Amino acid sequence: MAESDSVAKGWRNLKTIANLTLDTLFWSKKTLFVGLLSLIVLALAGVGRALLVLHLIPTALPASQVFGTLMSTAVMRFLVVFVTLFYGTALISEEVEGKTLTYLFMRPIPKPTIMLGKYLALVWIGSIMVLPVVMASYLILYVGADMRPFFEDLNVLCRDIGIIFLALLAYGAFFSLLGAALKHSILIGLAYAFGWEGIVAVLPGFTRKLTITHYLQSIFPHEDTLGALSMLVGDRTAPLESIVTLVLMIVLFIATASLIVREKEYVLEQ
Amino acid sequence: MSALVEGKTLSKWYGQIVALNNVTFTIGQGVVGLLGPNGAGKSTLMKLITGQLRPSQGEITVFGESIWNNFPLFHRIGFCPEQDSFYERMTGAEFLSALLHMHPFGDAEIGKRVDSALETVNLSSVRDKKIAAYSKGMRQRIKLAQAIAHDPDVMVLDEPLAGMDPVGRRDIIQLVRRWGTEGKCVIVSSHILHEVEAMTSTILLMHNGKVLAEGDVHQIRDLIDRHPHSIHIRCSKPRKLAEALVGFPDVESIRFDPEGDALTAESRQPDEFYGRLPELMLDNDIELEEITSPDDNLQAVFQYLVK
Amino acid sequence: MPIHDLSYQHWKGDWTSHPYRWWVISRHGIALLGKKKGFLVLLFLALIPFLARCVILYGAVVMNRIAFVKIDGGFFEAFLSQQLFFTFIIAIYAGAGAIANDLKANALQIYFSRAITRRDYLIGKLGVVVFFLSLPTLVPGLLLFFVAAIFHSDLEFLRQYSWVLLSILGYALLIIAANALVILALSSMSRSSRFAGIFFAAVVFFSQILYGILNAFLHTSSVAWISLSDDLRQIGDVLFRSPLTYQSSPWASAAVLAILLAGSVCIIHSRVKAVEVVK
Repeated sequence: MAESDSVAKGWRNLKTIANLTLDTLFWSKKTLFVGLLSLIVLALAGVGRALLVLHLIPTALPASQVFGTLMSTAVMRFLVVFVTLFYGTALISEEVEGKTLTYLFMRPIPKPTIMLGKYLALVWIGSIMVLPVVMASYLILYVGADMRPFFEDLNVLCRDIGIIFLALLAYGAFFSLLGAALKHSILIGLAYAFGWEGIVAVLPGFTRKLTITHYLQSIFPHEDTLGALSMLVGDRTAPLESIVTLVLMIVLFIATASLIVREKEYVLEQ
Repeated sequence: MSALVEGKTLSKWYGQIVALNNVTFTIGQGVVGLLGPNGAGKSTLMKLITGQLRPSQGEITVFGESIWNNFPLFHRIGFCPEQDSFYERMTGAEFLSALLHMHPFGDAEIGKRVDSALETVNLSSVRDKKIAAYSKGMRQRIKLAQAIAHDPDVMVLDEPLAGMDPVGRRDIIQLVRRWGTEGKCVIVSSHILHEVEAMTSTILLMHNGKVLAEGDVHQIRDLIDRHPHSIHIRCSKPRKLAEALVGFPDVESIRFDPEGDALTAESRQPDEFYGRLPELMLDNDIELEEITSPDDNLQAVFQYLVK
Repeated sequence: MPIHDLSYQHWKGDWTSHPYRWWVISRHGIALLGKKKGFLVLLFLALIPFLARCVILYGAVVMNRIAFVKIDGGFFEAFLSQQLFFTFIIAIYAGAGAIANDLKANALQIYFSRAITRRDYLIGKLGVVVFFLSLPTLVPGLLLFFVAAIFHSDLEFLRQYSWVLLSILGYALLIIAANALVILALSSMSRSSRFAGIFFAAVVFFSQILYGILNAFLHTSSVAWISLSDDLRQIGDVLFRSPLTYQSSPWASAAVLAILLAGSVCIIHSRVKAVEVVK
């Protein structure tokens, strides 16, 4: 009974922190800009569909390729990374800069719970900003007179949603760790996402396994230029191994972030 | 008096800067004024007491337990920080409710506590207004409200009167005094000495990271030997009185006011001085108009110990 | 009178206006950033490509051992294009908080209560970003040219490639202006330097990705004008008389950059005010 009480109490604390984070982080003008980027991705799906339907160019890509290109570049390589970088690095940093962290740390809640609650909010925000774009893009590209491709490629859509959700969890955990540990987390995050991952992914040898993108590319059904290049210099990791590694990474990053939040002294500048 | 907050050989440094230097103190029930010039270490001490910082050396205990990462204790501690920072999008009621949800209260209890805290700080009429639209005084009050809403046993208030109008200050001073008499431990930090004096006579005086004095301000004053007590007397014949006083060995000096109707005497034994004064006045047929001790107060203690 | 009056006295000298008021702001900003060790490390890293190219120059010109490297306009253009990554990072570091931090601290009222105009303030802030952006671009670009001239034993290099000096100046200033004005515009739009930094990254990278996707859809690089970094590269090709990298018209790239810079100036002008009326 005591154990179930503490689990219920822990879950209530997580939800409270997540709701507070959603309220402060999500409901702000900045979310409008992120939403605008998501809409641009949808607009690209519209352009791809228009090219196909209106036969504007002789070599228009089929819906599956357009969808694949959008998912591998705009969504996986940009939108997921951007959303998790933007919100993930802000989870703790925003509280420190806004000097509101004191209010949270002065409550009878373990600090790791605060970190986990905020991560929960990040996953929720990321899912809202990204997954509907994936589903809407699919609808824009596939819905038509002939619905056979729509149902034939439905498994691809489900797989994409699952992998993109995993990507949100993985990048979200990593950038949350950066935000909890470092002062200039945005710069380091940008250098990692658009520098390190871009360069190392195409290097031969073991270094590719030191990126999140390598494991995501190994299970992603679509390919882009970077993925094709990386294939030239090395093999993908087996799907099961990739998924297990990603899950382990998520657990490790979040656990480390929780430990840092627990032990670090956050000095709020006066 | 049982110690609720105790520091033993407590030190805190940031790199080369020593913010607190081997500080030992005990604080029990009642109101304690934490005083000191800028850079004395008051904020650092408050952050150590509230578990926001970890001691570099020594220990700090609250309710007999180490406070660092001891989250269950925070249910019994309330902290009103100095910084003017909030979740601006929230209304006052939402802000209190969100924070109270992190305590082990049910929803009904939370609602009652929000109402009670807002009423205590006179913010009931603006409970549904966004904090971003609050005036400075209202912001200070809502900060205080979040510190008291869960009815803590120890309250740490960092400059609670900052930005408040005179009526607001009076209300908060009365509240603090009431909490002290109710048996709570209230640690108040302020730069405005006469306001601290209005709240309490028990002080913890700090300077350069060390505790200079601890206890009742009058007792501390008595112990400051190198500064004799000043006694200001306005009477009908000040020079006659001076002639009578000058023969006593405890009288260090006598100075006449420019207007010529008063004198200020300095004595190292104020009790004896006060004891002989009525007889001297009667013997010399002197009418007493006013007698004050300009430096038997916090300001004087602060000045004499710090400078 | 033997004892002089040492009480407060009004200034009896001339009241002249300081022509370089903006320099006070720039100087302060440069000094502040110059104290940050992390930033100095970043600036040092940004100079490594310059040092590497000096070695290549030495090997190609003096030692005559690197035959495949041609020291022409393209060599200098490639160097400046390579520095785009560093200018991106430095722009965020130096510029993201330039105006945002002042907005957050309500410092604009303090600035404009002094004898400076809005123009002085903006030029001052721009000066800080321009100074640090010129360190990995304009300065090493010009130095690289002089190093190449010195390594050539005759004046033939200078006779043939003296125009490259102006191209380096033009391309470097374009890179500096584009980065500086856009980051300052984003900085003026928020009280959070994080917002400015990340949306600068979004503008740069998302435009690249947009181009990549449209390139995949349309099988043509004529839409390269969508990508900001590719616009800069396209103009660089024109300035250094290199073959165009993309099929898009350089005029389209120039128009996009002109609109971007003009838009940034308008945003900065409208956002930076001494008093903000909240309704």
